[in-house]
Amino acid sequence: MEDKIGIFICKAYGISEALDIDALCKVATDEYKVSFCKTIDSCEKPVLDSINEDIAREELNKVLIAGISPRCYTDDMFPQDVMVEKVALREHVVWCQPANDEDTQMLAEDYLRMYITKLQKMEPVEPFKSEEAIDKSILVVGGGITGLTAALEASKAGYKVHLVEKTNQLGGWLAKQHKSIPTKPPYRDLEDTGVDELIEEVKGNTQIKIYTSAVTSKITGAPGLFDVSIKSAKNGKPDSDVLHTFRVGSIVQASGWKPVEPRDTLPYGKVEDVIRNVELEEMVKNQDRITRPSDGKEVKSIAFIQCGGSRDKEHHSYCSSICCLTSLKQASYLRERDDDAKAYIFYEFMRTPGLYEDFYRKTQEDPGIFFTRGEVADVSRDDDGKLTVTAKNTMPGEQIQVKVDLVVLAAGMTPNSADGEAIRALEDARVAVTEGESDIQRDRAAETVERLKHHQGTEILNLEYRQGPDLNVLQNGFPDSHFICFPYESRRTGIYPAGSVRQPMDGIGGREDGTGAALKAIQCIEMTSRGEAVHPRAGDKSYPDFFLQNCTQCKRCTEECPFGVLNEDPKGTPEPWPTRCRRCGVCMGACPERIVNFKDYSVNIIASMIKAVEVPDEDEEKPRILALLCENDAFPALDLVGQHRMKYSPFIRIIPVRCLGSMNVAWVKDAISEGFDGVILIGCKYGDDYQCHFIKGSELADSRGENIREKLEQMQMENERVELHQLQISEYHKLPEIFNNFAELIEDIGMNPFKGM
Amino acid sequence: MQDKPNISAEDSPKTTFVLSKNGRPLLIEPDLDFIRMLGKHTPGIYKKCMQCGTCSATCELSPDPEPFPRKEMAWASWGMKDLLLGDPDVWLCHQCNDCSAKCPRDVKPGDVMAGIRQAGVIRWSFPSFLGKWASEPQSVIFLLAIPTLLLILALYLKDPIANVLGIIEPTGERIIYPYSSMFPHWLLISFFMFFSILASASGIIGAIRFWKAMKTTFPRKNPASAKSLFSSIIVTLKKIIFHDDFSKCTESAPRLWSHMLVLFGFAGLSLVTFWIITIRINPFIQGDFIYPFSFWSPWKILANLGGAAVLAGILLMIMDRYKGKESAHTGKYFDWLLLGTILIVVITGYITEVLHYVRLDPHRHLAYFTHLVFVLGLILYLPYSKLAHIFYRTTALIYDEYTGRNVEISTVVNANLTVNSDGEDSPRQEEETASEQGNATTQNGS
Repeated sequence: MEDKIGIFICKAYGISEALDIDALCKVATDEYKVSFCKTIDSCEKPVLDSINEDIAREELNKVLIAGISPRCYTDDMFPQDVMVEKVALREHVVWCQPANDEDTQMLAEDYLRMYITKLQKMEPVEPFKSEEAIDKSILVVGGGITGLTAALEASKAGYKVHLVEKTNQLGGWLAKQHKSIPTKPPYRDLEDTGVDELIEEVKGNTQIKIYTSAVTSKITGAPGLFDVSIKSAKNGKPDSDVLHTFRVGSIVQASGWKPVEPRDTLPYGKVEDVIRNVELEEMVKNQDRITRPSDGKEVKSIAFIQCGGSRDKEHHSYCSSICCLTSLKQASYLRERDDDAKAYIFYEFMRTPGLYEDFYRKTQEDPGIFFTRGEVADVSRDDDGKLTVTAKNTMPGEQIQVKVDLVVLAAGMTPNSADGEAIRALEDARVAVTEGESDIQRDRAAETVERLKHHQGTEILNLEYRQGPDLNVLQNGFPDSHFICFPYESRRTGIYPAGSVRQPMDGIGGREDGTGAALKAIQCIEMTSRGEAVHPRAGDKSYPDFFLQNCTQCKRCTEECPFGVLNEDPKGTPEPWPTRCRRCGVCMGACPERIVNFKDYSVNIIASMIKAVEVPDEDEEKPRILALLCENDAFPALDLVGQHRMKYSPFIRIIPVRCLGSMNVAWVKDAISEGFDGVILIGCKYGDDYQCHFIKGSELADSRGENIREKLEQMQMENERVELHQLQISEYHKLPEIFNNFAELIEDIGMNPFKGM
Repeated sequence: MQDKPNISAEDSPKTTFVLSKNGRPLLIEPDLDFIRMLGKHTPGIYKKCMQCGTCSATCELSPDPEPFPRKEMAWASWGMKDLLLGDPDVWLCHQCNDCSAKCPRDVKPGDVMAGIRQAGVIRWSFPSFLGKWASEPQSVIFLLAIPTLLLILALYLKDPIANVLGIIEPTGERIIYPYSSMFPHWLLISFFMFFSILASASGIIGAIRFWKAMKTTFPRKNPASAKSLFSSIIVTLKKIIFHDDFSKCTESAPRLWSHMLVLFGFAGLSLVTFWIITIRINPFIQGDFIYPFSFWSPWKILANLGGAAVLAGILLMIMDRYKGKESAHTGKYFDWLLLGTILIVVITGYITEVLHYVRLDPHRHLAYFTHLVFVLGLILYLPYSKLAHIFYRTTALIYDEYTGRNVEISTVVNANLTVNSDGEDSPRQEEETASEQGNATTQNGS
């Protein structure tokens, strides 16, 4: 179908007062020969309706609305088969530039040129259609409170569930608990865990297939097409004794937690009758009495030592948020059984989040539970069989001692996760030890093997992904995701970690997480079946096309993709699994051959937009600066700059990119060759506390700096002409400064000598 | 007003109760019964104390070094009974309840201090079962029975004893319509004198025990501010008479007036009593003793004014308790027992006087008898009731002046809780070392 482009230029919001609208129309009609160009009186609903009428009448398939920010529209405002682009003449031109100025007019006209060019180059998007049918069942890994809830919630929503549990019984840690901390007002009394009822409900649900004493030995494929192999948890190598195979659409990983090993300075394992909270819990669950492990005598006093290994920078740096509550609960066990018993709780900070504070207060009222802040300095065994606990800097005294029958260390939670990336690196290093090309390489590989060998055998999911068999982890072994903004997300599309593997939590948290992750899993299946992307470009129907004939097997795309979309064939040619893709375009930015492109977002489209800018001659003293802004933070921040009427250099030409990681170095070269005097790249914060929506994008862009420098060197240009900045949306006020400083810098360096060539 | 230090955020929350000597840790064995007792005593659940220190910051009486009642709250939460009972600071508190009113957790430190004081009275008084009786409602019947039976016994024995000793009640025209027909003066004087001396002796024994406990538990000595025993006593008496400490309370300012009225009212009444007791030897009383005094006699006027002052003071105190129901002090049995006794003493006293003027027999004898029972009760239970504060607070105030407070560091040791991990040191040895280490002069304290 031949393109029919329509252009609508808005006159409201001060646009017509600040700009020469006729001149703008002429750019469209004269320069680009666009047949349909008209002005509109606003960008409000009635006008949008009239645009839709025009689209229908004129049979337009591409439309450009030059008016308000693209963020002011929703997708459903226009027919689905029409490509609609928006230029923010209001936010990006008239609100931040002086009215009726030559430079302002040039800026607006350039934006028009860029976006008309973009429309011309864009091709209609066809959603990805898998050859095989998208499977709509869900795999839940882990049969604890989170997994059980996820399975039940998914089945209630009409989805078939496969529930795999490593041990021989369902219920996880909660099933090993005698009682649960109070979960409802007035938050004073211990409760039954309720996990037995949940297990019964899951067992009675015909939509849920349960595999106990089983683990996933292999998962191949991609969202909607995961092929899962199950083997017995007890024996064998990954491929032996496969008990079941089935296909699922998405996966909830609720692999839970294990207790922290207490730090060396505590006498756990060295002094008898020093146990961990999990062991006390098991004791109370199984025998109801609390006895000393050493001689079986009834326990009359317990010292609880909080943070038994946690919150120690050298050992286990974070707070697990439930150990304090567990100690309060266990102190209550002791007191319920014996009115003369004593429980001492030594803490550094008592943490009882939210309304659990009420339970803390209740235990404070108990005459036999004693609290103090303080540092436990020593636990020693006396001749009479009792343990003497010495604590420093306590509230009743600078150094105090108590004699107790039992010492309980409040051990925190460590996620039951596997570091997929490290396992993969270990495998690669093992190969390199024998097949490395030089001694140095082989030695390095041997070092890597030594450093990473503790990851061996930790696999949980056993994914067949080029980047490793499990989810990537960030700090402390938790799966990599924005745990606050985007819970349950991971770096493997369609696989959602939930429960204590994601963040330390209690049973209520587990139930909430199970429900949330089930919803995510369902959402993934449904969107995948429609060929749409999931978070964060939810609903995007485009997907990357790999022109593999020109591939040089450089593996950059397979290695850099933050989501492990690409496997490799033995030769190293990428094998894309489109349903794993989040459409960030990092592969497009990575590819030196420029063979990865989307229909509506390609190396060529952006390059053409760059080339569409009219660069004035050197003697006009009007530099041009290209700014590539990340769509997620920096570009919306630009709207805020406009809303605050902050002014910045009129020489900046801004192009939004899906992620700064999709920036192809070719664009920098194109810009410089076209006569741009500098390029500024603005992405999200990276590092451990990254804010990049695609995890690695802005970091990858930075790592391409070397390539950029090489390109600049080839062109005999100064390094300073390219700058990369990290910006979060709340720092919008820094944008004008960044722009203006860069413009000044460019002025100092001087104009690009390539102008007009 | 006491100068309060300007506490900045950096140095405020650190707890600084140095409880060990020679760097040795203090072994704590919480006393659950003590905690339960204090729990009953206080309307706020005091174990919820979070050691914020608002109480000590609010208290106008609390000194800068080792302020109270914050540390007492921590010790009370841990059931450290022995330590608290030997703690002079517990008695430096006058329970104005500024702390209870300001406490963000509503744990009422003022009431906790009162509870500790009550436990102290039980512990140090002799014999201590009387202290226990005075603290529990179910024993009120015994408390009432003892003076009643004693008085009945005295009435039965008065004639045989008088015959044996040959005592003749003075008679004369000016002695009209005498109460002595029922309770002769010689008996009244000797009987009440005897029990007053007994009670005082018991109170002094308690005070000495308390002094010793303070000396071993808190053997501090600050040469810079310590005074001699004599001047400590003088300073303390001045403080008591002028109500220096009471006047610092802000939460219940009327307490100053009510306590003054009661104290000086009783002082007036005692003066009159002593004047009469000295009848046979008093050179100022010439000729036949006129009894009762005429209404316009200066002595009668003083007695009536004294009674009125006590009545007014007691009524003020009761009003204070009711008014403070929500904010600060609600009062407890120990407290009400004393208030009630004094109220009954004053009221029966006036009834007796009025019935006497209207010459209403035999009711006046009944009223008089009741009056005597309660007066005897007041005297008998002086070392066991809340009135025991006369002994203990005075002792603590003297001790505080005598030792001075340590400004830098206090070497504090708990005599009863000194078993260490090596288990070799006996408490006695600990005590001695403590004294050596503290200051030799503390030894000569009592």
